[in-house]
Amino acid sequence: MKHALFLAWHAILWHRARSFIVVLSLAITIWLPATVHLMLNEFRREISERSHATPLIVGARGSRIDLVLHALYFKGVPPAEITMAEVQQLTESGLGIAVPLHSRYQTPAVAGQDGVPIVGTSPEYMEFRRLTIQSGEMLSMLGDCIVGARVAQVMQLAPGDTLFSAPRNAFNLAGDYPLRMSVTGILAPSHSPDDDVVFTDIRTTWVIDGIGHGHQSLTSQTDPALLLGSNDSSALIANAGVLPYTEITEDNIDSFHFHGEPNTFPLTAIIVVPADEKSRVRILGRYASSEMSAQCLKPPEVVEELLTLVFRVEQLVWLCSLAAGLVTLLLLILVLTLSMRLRAEEMQTMFRLGCSRSTIALLQGSEILLSLLLAGTLASAATGLTVWLGGDVLSMLLF
Amino acid sequence: MLTLYWCLPADCRNVTAGRSMISITHLQFAYSGGQFSLQIPELHVAAHASSVIVGPSGSGKTTLLHLIAGILPVTDGEIVVGETNVHRLNDAERRLFRLRNIGLVFQDFQLIDYLNVLENVLLPCRIHPSVQLTAEFTDRARSLLNSVGLQSLQTRSVTRLSQGERQRVAICRALLLSPGIILADEPTGNLDPFNAEKIVELLLSDATRSGASLLMVTHDHSLLPRFDQVIPFEPFLKTVASADSTAGAGR
Repeated sequence: MKHALFLAWHAILWHRARSFIVVLSLAITIWLPATVHLMLNEFRREISERSHATPLIVGARGSRIDLVLHALYFKGVPPAEITMAEVQQLTESGLGIAVPLHSRYQTPAVAGQDGVPIVGTSPEYMEFRRLTIQSGEMLSMLGDCIVGARVAQVMQLAPGDTLFSAPRNAFNLAGDYPLRMSVTGILAPSHSPDDDVVFTDIRTTWVIDGIGHGHQSLTSQTDPALLLGSNDSSALIANAGVLPYTEITEDNIDSFHFHGEPNTFPLTAIIVVPADEKSRVRILGRYASSEMSAQCLKPPEVVEELLTLVFRVEQLVWLCSLAAGLVTLLLLILVLTLSMRLRAEEMQTMFRLGCSRSTIALLQGSEILLSLLLAGTLASAATGLTVWLGGDVLSMLLF
Repeated sequence: MLTLYWCLPADCRNVTAGRSMISITHLQFAYSGGQFSLQIPELHVAAHASSVIVGPSGSGKTTLLHLIAGILPVTDGEIVVGETNVHRLNDAERRLFRLRNIGLVFQDFQLIDYLNVLENVLLPCRIHPSVQLTAEFTDRARSLLNSVGLQSLQTRSVTRLSQGERQRVAICRALLLSPGIILADEPTGNLDPFNAEKIVELLLSDATRSGASLLMVTHDHSLLPRFDQVIPFEPFLKTVASADSTAGAGR
């Protein structure tokens, strides 16, 4: 066998162009379904793990999948919002911990890279997801932010740096202004979607949303040109020339204020951690009524629906791979047949010298075996590399 | 249908008196569906001697060598090489017999392009499970290459050798397993006179040194004086022509 392998290996090296094409064709045939299978498995594992680690999600009625993906992965923005009143009610009910999420804004796109989501939440989120600070410190004041490990790496951020929010609509002159946030800490890698976002206090996201703002103090004596008048409650009415601050500092933080009732401030989702099973059932029951404007979802159930879709995609990929594999197999048979014909004289020489039938069969078989081994090795390496480098590609493609 | 009638030429009869390496009796062969057949009533090739079959191209000389080597099966008759009736062996036995007892040198060398010079010489040790590649064979291969002046080209690809060098590699391959008989099929056919002379000298000297019998096929008459036994082919061709015309008249 070793001699057959020796001769086959030298033949492969000698016919390197042909061997390269054969090995590459085989490798691609193996690589494609293997990669898709592994990536889908990884995706399945990851999404199932995160969904099982998230007990309940409350959000506006609408697409269940959109809401769950938003709450778990910060992907997309639900078309409707709920308000802080839901958090208030859940907290007051004592049924569990309500962790608010508000994520409608992103950082600006830089150098062809999309911006990353800015997620406003409460300190309970860090505790709930067991996120820790790798460098710097936690949020200490309005306008601070902490960034996920991958964001820090890609955007080369360190504590002390600043980060802007991107306005959602450039023509919304009376609405959201870019807010310059101060990076106070970098999160330790959690190998989860939390690595890919910027966290800030929920009130900071309301400032970005234009609900809260800060500006210079106005008096009729010092700023007559900016004032339009005053109302009955002696509040001053200013014109649009009064620009809000775009950065929150220790000097101007006192001027920041919110307009409206805190209970009416928007949230995109709430993660609810019930106190116990009974509380969980009661929370679900509470939102089961069709009169409620919000819905409460069990993430594993919704993710299972999503995975059914993914499974169908996988089946489709398998079907395509099978067809591609069949075509490759037929082409390989053609290539090997032509190759045998081209090498008929060589085999004839072997026969004339006294080569045994088994050795001739071994020679041909060894070449196929070595080609398969090379292709398998190449495909394994490529699959490993693809899964390693492109772990997020599939989830990006799917969402 | 072209039929070649072989019989024992007068100048070869003395061989039968001594010991024969190859004895052919009542040989008949025909390619299936072909227009060519070969008939040799009797032929003996001397042991430990150099013999040459001389005749024009396409007359069946290569076929005869292939029959002796057991590459082609006979239709009828017997070919005894040494003490072995080659065509009573089964296919596997014939292959092994050929590998161990017969050194074949082909006109077009038939070297394996993807192996270097040394590996081409060692090829017989890699193609049959009963022959193991040992250090002794490797030493012998190197020694053979040294003896033909190719010691510095052992690792060179055979595709980068001259015709003469390639033929020398083919001869070394044929001699590796120390065969009792060397069958050389027009080994000088592609060579210039100078290289042809060198190759014949090499074959003769190696056959003499190793005590092997050499049976060479050629159509180059200038080489004949170098051989102990000459088996001319022309008389048989006349017989063929005569037989053909007789057959035509009969019809």
